[in-house]
Amino acid sequence: MTGRYTLRSFPALALAALIGLTLPVAGETPLRTADDQPDLQGIWTSATVVPLERPVNLKGKEFYTEAEAAENTKRVLGISSWERLGSQAEVHYNMSQFGLDLSQEKIALSLRTSMITGPDGRIPPFTPEAQKRLAERAARNRGHQFDGPETRPLQERCIVFSTEGPPMLPAAYNSDLQIVQGRGYVAIVQEVIHSARIIRTDGSAHLPETIRQWLGDSRGHWEGDTLVVDTTNFTDRTAFRGSTASLHLVERFTRVDSETIRYEFTAEDPATWVRPWTAQLMLARIEGPILEFACHEGNLGLPHTLSGAREAEKAAEASKAVK
Amino acid sequence: MESTEETLRRTNRPISIPTLVRLRNSKKRLKSVLASSAMTAVSILAAISLAFIPAEAQIPAYKAPRTADGNPDLNGIWQVMNTANWDIEGHAAGPGPLFQLGAAGAIPPGLGVVEGDGLPYLPAAAAKKKENFANRLTLDPEIKCYLPGVPRATYLPYPFQIVQSQKYILISYEFAGAVRTINMENHKKAPIDSWMGWSNGNWEGETLVVDVTGLNDQTWFDRAGNFHSDGLHVVERYTPRSADTLHYEATIEDPKVFSRPWKMSMILYRHVEPNAGLLEFKCVEFVEELLYGPLRKKPAK
Repeated sequence: MTGRYTLRSFPALALAALIGLTLPVAGETPLRTADDQPDLQGIWTSATVVPLERPVNLKGKEFYTEAEAAENTKRVLGISSWERLGSQAEVHYNMSQFGLDLSQEKIALSLRTSMITGPDGRIPPFTPEAQKRLAERAARNRGHQFDGPETRPLQERCIVFSTEGPPMLPAAYNSDLQIVQGRGYVAIVQEVIHSARIIRTDGSAHLPETIRQWLGDSRGHWEGDTLVVDTTNFTDRTAFRGSTASLHLVERFTRVDSETIRYEFTAEDPATWVRPWTAQLMLARIEGPILEFACHEGNLGLPHTLSGAREAEKAAEASKAVK
Repeated sequence: MESTEETLRRTNRPISIPTLVRLRNSKKRLKSVLASSAMTAVSILAAISLAFIPAEAQIPAYKAPRTADGNPDLNGIWQVMNTANWDIEGHAAGPGPLFQLGAAGAIPPGLGVVEGDGLPYLPAAAAKKKENFANRLTLDPEIKCYLPGVPRATYLPYPFQIVQSQKYILISYEFAGAVRTINMENHKKAPIDSWMGWSNGNWEGETLVVDVTGLNDQTWFDRAGNFHSDGLHVVERYTPRSADTLHYEATIEDPKVFSRPWKMSMILYRHVEPNAGLLEFKCVEFVEELLYGPLRKKPAK
């Protein structure tokens, strides 16, 4: 038995593959590189209709049936991209004119109701320490969101995007990545924003504690056909979902079939969440190519946001003076 | 009888044995004759070698180990040891554009990496180069943490890593997280212009040849203001010359700026320390004051 599963012919196996169980398939050998490593290479998308956290009304329901999944997919893809992002803006782009709408993407099949696994499907509660820290930060920032570049989101500044992570999460569009393997390394290039994580696969030691990086420091090793990547050394400003520099991430990449990679990550930070949590998403093979996303070079958004805020302040001062 | 020196000048060839025998009784004359003969032979040989083997193009014959798919193995972390990023042409040391940085900001000297007699700018372009140099503090894209383009990315004073597979060769540069992927199969035309260009590569014997098109006009060749248009076409050649060095050559063609194509060449050195690896150099946050300072609510004085 080789090649792709279809839902109709092998429902049990397909279901198992889709919900991410490793099942040995008689007669099918995993794809290998020329130097006999599991082959994760190719151009992939992490685009998905599955939300990170499970909607509260679906608590306890980790998987849809095939019919429910199809209906949910249709519903999500039918929403306009701007509504899907939750924007209230009166004026916005129609992403589908640029081929950037989710409905125009290839999406890997999934029966999950949330990327986060388990009965709850939601990020665990913050620790009391984290609640205090985040409340103080919010209080400090209130009224100062437009003071300068440092008060703006990292994405607006073109420093780090959620697609890079790690963990690598899909964005509104262009959630494309390329994996290239060379002797002793697996390189993951995210289109957004042209970052290359080059991961040694020899299980070497992490960087010294004093060196912190936006994307942390990633070290990999193979466990059977799965690439396991351990990341530490985050900065205290990376703040993935409110976390601190002590964030510890373990990612697992497994080639499920010729068209799909199962990507799973476990996030742990005792200074932030009461327990570690795990999420899973499927990467689908796409034709590509990966194009250049020269974010900083073309960043008009940040200067315009700041100058707009300065204009609004001037106008407010002027109207005060008149009164 | 004609002296031995006269014989040599007349015949202009190494001394023959009968002539040597004639001189065997005169040690002093023999010594001087042999010396002149040796010098003549050497100068003839030297003239031959200079005529046929130009020194800059000579790459030692070396066969690199192969990757599992049978190509020369270029995997590794590489870096130049020259000052081409300051000025690709030969230059003496000089003051930098900011006196406050003193010697740390000075321009270090360098022999230059351009082959031949200087850059063949068209007259209007030569004037623009001078203007670029005069205004380099505000115009050099490197200062703003912009993507460096090709070939400048190769000779920035920071390491880069080659991750090589059969279909794609990835080059990741430490500076600004610049990255480019060389397509080794299914060569297509550049779909759009970009800062790092569109690279199609193939193997010619021991050499990786990369054809780079689709480069925009926003990058420079160095800090001295050497520039190009969006008509730039670069052909790179990476040739292993020993276990830990590569010979790098780039042919530059840009008819809007230069009167003819020209070449640069240099050595790439492998990082051999056991924990060698690229570190993160996301320089965007270091240029925010420069680019957006005046837009702050409370601008720094």
